[in-house]
Amino acid sequence: MKAYLGIDIGSISTKGVIIDEENRILASSYLWTEGNPIQAVKNVLNELEKKVKDKDIKILGVGTTGSARKLIGTMLGACSIKNEITAHAIGTLSKYPSVRTILEIGGQDSKIILLEDGIVTDYAMNTLCAAGTGSFLSSQAKRLGIDVKDFGPIALTSKHPTNIAARCTVFAESDLVHKIQMGYEKKDIIAGLCYSVASNYLNNVAKGKKIVGQILFQGGVSKNIGVKKAFEDLLKTEVLVDADGHLMGALGSAILAKKNSKNEVFAFSLKNSKFETAGIECKGCPNHCEVIVIKKDGRKIDSWGNRCEKGSLIH
Amino acid sequence: MKTIGLPKALLYYHYHILWKTFFDALKVPYVESKKTTREMLEKGKEKCIDETCLSMKIFLGHIASIKNQCDCILIPRIYSIEKKEQVCTNFNALYDLVRNVYPKVSIINYNVDVKHHHSEENGFIHLGKQLGFSKKESKNAYKIAKKKEKEHNQLLEEQGRKKMHSKKTKILLLGHPYNLEDDLIGKRIISYLKDKDIEIIYSYEVPKEKVNTCVQKISPKVHWTMNKELLASFIYFKDHVDGTILLTAFPCGPDSLTNEMILRKKGKNKVLLLTFEDLNSDVAILTRLESFLDMLKGGIHL
Repeated sequence: MKAYLGIDIGSISTKGVIIDEENRILASSYLWTEGNPIQAVKNVLNELEKKVKDKDIKILGVGTTGSARKLIGTMLGACSIKNEITAHAIGTLSKYPSVRTILEIGGQDSKIILLEDGIVTDYAMNTLCAAGTGSFLSSQAKRLGIDVKDFGPIALTSKHPTNIAARCTVFAESDLVHKIQMGYEKKDIIAGLCYSVASNYLNNVAKGKKIVGQILFQGGVSKNIGVKKAFEDLLKTEVLVDADGHLMGALGSAILAKKNSKNEVFAFSLKNSKFETAGIECKGCPNHCEVIVIKKDGRKIDSWGNRCEKGSLIH
Repeated sequence: MKTIGLPKALLYYHYHILWKTFFDALKVPYVESKKTTREMLEKGKEKCIDETCLSMKIFLGHIASIKNQCDCILIPRIYSIEKKEQVCTNFNALYDLVRNVYPKVSIINYNVDVKHHHSEENGFIHLGKQLGFSKKESKNAYKIAKKKEKEHNQLLEEQGRKKMHSKKTKILLLGHPYNLEDDLIGKRIISYLKDKDIEIIYSYEVPKEKVNTCVQKISPKVHWTMNKELLASFIYFKDHVDGTILLTAFPCGPDSLTNEMILRKKGKNKVLLLTFEDLNSDVAILTRLESFLDMLKGGIHL
């Protein structure tokens, strides 16, 4: 059976899926990146291999997305290395053909994608500021001494969410400390935090965008039912969360790999190779470009980041 | 004869034809600084406060790179080039700012403030006087330079018109010339787009005589002369291109206003805002650029 592999390497988590020709998910894996994308991908491959071991499948294409897409794409010889926007849109469309709005909040960035007739018509990402992303929620969870996984259920028990300044993460944090010291109940503060993430997103990332149904909420934060409810309250409409919402980027890149497949068989044994990366500051000219070199079993396979002649953006 | 230094940043990109032809006509030697490098930016950053824009940091870096190769550096003070308008306050302050940051650097200067009756021609006569030329000589050189500048602008406009009818995917790259042409800012985007075989139309290719009428469609009164050209270029080109990229250096006051005007009035047109800061990584810019291109020309389907 022909199959395709898609991997989404985010800042916090690494996701992998194997799909068949009908875009059905045969196996999936979801692990923490833990600051080591190469190891994380090896672990993901390990898991996937175990899951499809009994099935007779041939992987004919690999697609990568996420912030480490270039590195991992080079490592795995991917036939599709695509940005997160396109990958998420394609992945979501394969399950929800009539989707119009995708709200996405990840660990490090957040984005909104607007679609019309199955085509991306507009999108926005958080700019220089990482306000209201997943990492904000998890650092506040730590402050409150609560596991971030329990955030959602606790938030739902609150009847009077505390009002927390949402414009900026720094202000939100100091406001939060203030509210704690004032003696607000924990569950109300947690619900307030969920609201602040949602309204922060709507005010910053989705600013000026027309949000119409069908709306899907994705990314790691979508697992937080408190934020989902906050979105529904603020938008006054239903917001869907898919059980595989976290896999949409990986699914999309697997579909893109299928489209670009060169019919070369991918072998899981690649994960046993030793990959090394190094960041070198080029001293060739006053630009001091940061060049990334990737080696497989001691041999250099690619490098990028150099701004000379071709420029790093080209690579 | 003194050798004049021309830092290749900020106003250079607005006036280089005028400056160089003027000096050529008077046989005054001049040197230009080299392409912007990261080292220049680092030098510039050391010299200014955090709040100044990236382009200004680059400018100060250029001064450092050229100050030992010339006898004086040309830094005009430009306040207004249209009667009831103004240019970015940085251009008002440039002369004084450099004088304070680099006290040992000798500066040659001219003043343009049409609002207060200081025309560009008078400015150049004054400039010539400092170099030991008579009013007549300077006036003559200015005339030659102005003619060359006009020809150059016509050439740009012609280029823009031609590209409007290109069959390739077309993108309007909208921003101040000193950002579009800078090696650390616009050039990176330009080389990426060219590699993808995209036809790039630059905002400075808008016909100058159309600026005032086009800008009316966005706002009846825009105070910032240089941003008027940006707004007008959007109106002029928007229906002939597949998408527009707004390129801005953080934090630019006038741009923050006019970019917002464009974003609010873009309608169905596809617009991407790219903000440049002195960050090291291209990754964030690349992701936005790549996904923007995916969206153009019918987009990518399932």
